[in-house]
Amino acid sequence: MILITAKRSIIFAIQSFWRNIWLSLATIFIIALTFLSINFLVVINAISDSAIAAVKDKIDVSVYFKQDVRETKIAEVKSHIETLLQVEKITYISPDENLRVFTERRKDDTVIQEVLQELSGNPLGATLIVKAKNLNDYSEILKAIDNPAYSDLIEKKGYDDHHSAIDNINTITNNVKRGAWIVTFMFIIIAILIVFNTVRIAIFTHQQEIGIMKLVGASNSFIRSPFILENIFSGVIACGIAISVIYFILSLIQPHLNNFFAGVNVDLVGYFNANFIAIFGSQLVGIILLNIISSSLALGKYLKV
Amino acid sequence: MIHLINISKTFEPNTVALKNINLHIEPGEFVSIVGQSGSGKTTIARLLISEIKPDSSEGKIIVGGWDITNIKSRQVPSLRRQIGVVFQDFKLLPKKTVFENVAFALEVSGATKSRINSIVPQVLKIVDLGDKLDRYPQEMSGGEKQRVAIARALIHRPKILLADEPTGNLDAINSKEIIDLLLKINEFGTTVVLVSHDKDVVNGLKKRVVTIENGEVSQDQKVGKYVI
Repeated sequence: MILITAKRSIIFAIQSFWRNIWLSLATIFIIALTFLSINFLVVINAISDSAIAAVKDKIDVSVYFKQDVRETKIAEVKSHIETLLQVEKITYISPDENLRVFTERRKDDTVIQEVLQELSGNPLGATLIVKAKNLNDYSEILKAIDNPAYSDLIEKKGYDDHHSAIDNINTITNNVKRGAWIVTFMFIIIAILIVFNTVRIAIFTHQQEIGIMKLVGASNSFIRSPFILENIFSGVIACGIAISVIYFILSLIQPHLNNFFAGVNVDLVGYFNANFIAIFGSQLVGIILLNIISSSLALGKYLKV
Repeated sequence: MIHLINISKTFEPNTVALKNINLHIEPGEFVSIVGQSGSGKTTIARLLISEIKPDSSEGKIIVGGWDITNIKSRQVPSLRRQIGVVFQDFKLLPKKTVFENVAFALEVSGATKSRINSIVPQVLKIVDLGDKLDRYPQEMSGGEKQRVAIARALIHRPKILLADEPTGNLDAINSKEIIDLLLKINEFGTTVVLVSHDKDVVNGLKKRVVTIENGEVSQDQKVGKYVI
């Protein structure tokens, strides 16, 4: 009995879907637009996250040691910094490597090249490049480096140059995220209203039919289930269309993004691939739930015959 | 078979449709309920299928031994499967074929496909529509639509057939065919309750006539006429 009823609900839903194809297409179109709007925000979030992550990745603290500091002392400082939980990575650059990079970078500067040739030895010391796990962790790391025991060893620290940049990025990141949440929330509210009313209109057009079903002895659940299933079909098809359109648009804009954000890896297709289930699964579940709630509420009015 | 005992119905805010109606219909009877528009005859039909509830009083509505006065909403589908109902506007599902319209009444009760495929053509044959199974309602005449509605009403082999102005939208020839069909159904033992304001139809029947005036039973004749 339950199986027969379930099978019939599916058949009625498919029949109704095809026999009201224009209404079904209109519903699909609206839901697909809603999906696209929400995923536009996901794209914006992904781009801003990638850009911010790339800038953050370039931030570190460079500790420049004096020329005459021995390697054992530097290793001691390195070990001390490594003990900090906030530290993600420390890179040691030897004086020779520093000189090689410096020479390479200033190879066109004849004055510098001449000075370097006149000097008998390497004028540069070693460097430690410290990368923190989070932007906010740099203050703790700097405190540790400011240890008086090391003040005679360190020539200078490179963090001051980035301090204002870090503050700015933190502010921008927080503002972008706050803005994105507000816009996303507004879009979700708009999407709920659009889908809810679309489903209501679809059911309103069937009100006479619902009344007849009731009069020939159909139970409320028997009437309700095909409508809910039909709206779930619309949601699934709309999701499929939205996914196809999104991937098509992403494939078109991806090369331009790489050019636009030179040096920053903004891989939107990769981002959507990696988060496919989370992005589209959650949206599909949301739309299905919304359809079920909208259908149930809209039908309730006509089921009282 | 049908008992209405002290039944009253008032529509908001204060339109009195029925006042202390007492009506008893025996099994196998053919009863015409007649009256002018607004007299309350359709209200009786709506009460019998529990489309509306009577005023909360000491009245009772009993259909086939079942007290439906305070029937629960989840029991209403079961009641409606036991009373065949035919309406003036046919109430066919426009997106379903003739076969599907009749089959739908069986489908809602969970009948198997094989049972549906066996019974529906038989019933449609009885109403002389055996060759129009795949037609849609909009492709049929008023008389044919009403015959589809009658076939649907008969599909559960109900003990009661309630026909609310079944000839209201039909010409004289189609009306005669529908009334003949109702008489034939009555001959097989089904209790028929005909709600009508069509004098010619009612007077030609020579059956019991209950006249409703201003929400009250004004006449109840064994072999009556519509005299208002």
